[in-house]
Amino acid sequence: MSLDRALVAELQAIVGGEHVRTDRGDVEPYARDATPVFRAVPDAVVWPRTSEEVAAVLRLATQRHVPVVPRGAGSNLCAATVAERGGIVLVLTRMNRILEISPDELLARVEAGVTTAALADAAAAKGLLYAPDPGSRTVSTVGGNVATCAGGLRGLKYGVTRNYVLGATAVLPTGEVIRSGGRLWKDVAGYDLTRLLTGSEGTLGVLTEVTVALLPMPATTNTGVAYFPTLADAGRAVGAIIGDGIVPATLEFLDAKCIGAVEEYANLGLRLDAGALLLFGDDGPADVVDRNLGRIGEQCTANGAMEVTLAESVARSEALLTARRCSLPALSRLGTLTLLEDATVPRPRLAEMVDRIDDIADRYDVPIATFGHAGDGNLHPTCVVDQRDEAAIDRAHKAFGDVFAAAIDMDGTITGEHGVGAAKLPYLQARLGADQMALLRRIKAAFDPAGILNPGKLGS
Amino acid sequence: MTGHVETNEAHRTSPPGRGIFDPQLLDRCISCGFCLPACPTYAVSQDEGSSPRGRITLMRALETGRLDEDDPRLREESSFCLGCRACEPVCPAGVQYGDLLEEWRDHQWRGRHRPPLAQVLMMVAERTPLLRAMGVVRRHARTAPRPADTSLMLGCFERGLYPGLSWTVRTLLPDIAVPAQQGCCGALHAHNGESERGRELARRLGEELPGVIVTTAGGCAAHLAGVLGRDRVHELSEHLAKTGAAPVGEVTVDGRRARVAIQDSCHLRNGLRVFAEPRALISTVAEFVPVTGDDSCCGSAGTYSLLRPRDSRRILDPKLDAFEAAAVDYVVAVNPGCLRQLQTGLRRRGSAIRAVHLADLLAAAAGGRPLPRGVPWRVPRILTRLGRGSRQRGAARSTDGWSA
Repeated sequence: MSLDRALVAELQAIVGGEHVRTDRGDVEPYARDATPVFRAVPDAVVWPRTSEEVAAVLRLATQRHVPVVPRGAGSNLCAATVAERGGIVLVLTRMNRILEISPDELLARVEAGVTTAALADAAAAKGLLYAPDPGSRTVSTVGGNVATCAGGLRGLKYGVTRNYVLGATAVLPTGEVIRSGGRLWKDVAGYDLTRLLTGSEGTLGVLTEVTVALLPMPATTNTGVAYFPTLADAGRAVGAIIGDGIVPATLEFLDAKCIGAVEEYANLGLRLDAGALLLFGDDGPADVVDRNLGRIGEQCTANGAMEVTLAESVARSEALLTARRCSLPALSRLGTLTLLEDATVPRPRLAEMVDRIDDIADRYDVPIATFGHAGDGNLHPTCVVDQRDEAAIDRAHKAFGDVFAAAIDMDGTITGEHGVGAAKLPYLQARLGADQMALLRRIKAAFDPAGILNPGKLGS
Repeated sequence: MTGHVETNEAHRTSPPGRGIFDPQLLDRCISCGFCLPACPTYAVSQDEGSSPRGRITLMRALETGRLDEDDPRLREESSFCLGCRACEPVCPAGVQYGDLLEEWRDHQWRGRHRPPLAQVLMMVAERTPLLRAMGVVRRHARTAPRPADTSLMLGCFERGLYPGLSWTVRTLLPDIAVPAQQGCCGALHAHNGESERGRELARRLGEELPGVIVTTAGGCAAHLAGVLGRDRVHELSEHLAKTGAAPVGEVTVDGRRARVAIQDSCHLRNGLRVFAEPRALISTVAEFVPVTGDDSCCGSAGTYSLLRPRDSRRILDPKLDAFEAAAVDYVVAVNPGCLRQLQTGLRRRGSAIRAVHLADLLAAAAGGRPLPRGVPWRVPRILTRLGRGSRQRGAARSTDGWSA
């Protein structure tokens, strides 16, 4: 089935004829995002240019009970933008203006479709830092980052996207345009709707404009790498580093399988005999960075590190960070279907969790490699299988079910930064419990009485 | 009334394919989207379907039969893609997009579906006597046939448009053999839906030119290297770097070192990863000026500028703006197709910047034939006005269309 002609004509009247596409070949590329396996072809793709156009589209959709799935760059990893119930995919990439960078107020105001890298570059040009740096920053949009509360490599010291959203303009499914928050760091007038919209995964409203906080650009950054015989040693070192009063900007880990895959891909000269690699980095005044990295190195050595090296140049430092960012795609070269999760546990239990993941992988006979954000306890267990081997895919899904259960058992969560989307909805109740699930549904109904916005995801 | 999901295939593995694509190549893509910012056609369209990831989704739909080859969007995207392969170096999963595109066009453009102009060009390129006739004007450039371990290849574009280029190269490489008897390398065929024929022509050229083949065309170099092996093919700048032939002299304008930018050849950069070499050579004889976007496609893209002139100019125009803003005297090309595209574009806007081949720059520095002077192209007034008109039309259309 497809949308009826009258509805398509009305959509065209709102955004212009060429910004509505319904032909089979035109909508096919929007059948999926960066999440493997999930695929559903929408009936229409619509590209609005203004909040008013978004409002008109949503009013129409509510009236006619047509599902609407907001989409930025489609780089999310939880099938948040897959139109499982069909309907309209609303692409916000035409709303790509940087409206304001204010050094005096340390903030930026951008339209939702601006890419994360474009915002960061514009801020950097004025000597400012936009701190959140999700792995897909060159592709992802700021609107998408806010909608999924994107994390990144600097989470330990700088937090995640939610810590930087000061205000948001959102269009409600019923057509009202609301502005929550604004340019203020202190503002307690009313429920914190900005926080509610952040991470709402396009189920409560369509974000069209965001005001984010910026920081002064740190003078220098540097990175180092430490190799450990086992991941448990690396886990102890992480505890010791933070116990020593240092909160580094970056504290990432790769297990042995990841080290091999990344080295194969990037040829960085990583040690292949290590059981774990800890990538650490800090930024700030040069003397502080030097001192912190020195102390981190000492803690690593004291906890059994085989080798500690500091990046001798900015380029080398950048290369190491790039290597961490490319862990996932590097792993993906080992097979044709890459399943990536992001179970998260309290920081001290990181190594224990990795052990449990390894046990689960053995039990289900699937290869799982793990990398992630050691400082945040945020793991990315990654399973690479052949996409034509249905039995293996089935075993992998069962293994991840056990991984989520283990994370919850350890006071952790099913997803640290990727989101719930369609991919993790089946596991959400185990994390939240029946009462919170019911509350989520009531919140969803308050925003979206007709249930048209990203149905089948959060709050459904 | 409203649409429902017509094919909700969530949680299902992919069905068996039709055999159009090598599954090893097609399965590589993990849809991460890292290619989007590198794609020139995504930049002008902001539409997923005109990005490498979207095109691979379309290829998969073709492979599994969800879409058939008559789908208008499939036809359009197989030709809208420049084939510049800028998506390859940024792809962390190692997708060989250029190979996928060749397989796509082999199928999509078979028989009557091929653009007629591409068909004509391929026929011309295959007629060796015709090519030789095109090269006749600089017969003096040839050495007598003799066994040599290094030969200069004469590209098809080059013979037709820049017959003096091989003579210039000989002033830089006096010992190189330039056999008259040589055919087309087949890159043209490979990029226009005849990849098997393209490989056959490359193999034949490999037999005609034994030893190392030096070429002034980045596009030919990448195709030849793909068939004959990387060791047998040297693009000119790469050859000069490898043989350690240091350029001599200096190119000056008004008594100062000339300001020179580069336009990379896409397949040379993205396919063979050669881009540092020409920059290093330019730096030794002139002031090298890096320009944002000098690494992205100029819109020439083999036959693209002929098959899709309007899209080609949409890609080129912002680049020319950047070169003009950088106030360079010359833009160096390392591929005759790019050279032609730049010269046409610069002349159209009456720019004072001149586009030259790397060989011309190096020869001029060494005291050879001087470069064209940096005065604005003399374009008849009426033509200028016409040119502007069409530029504005193009721009207007692109804004209300799919422009960023």
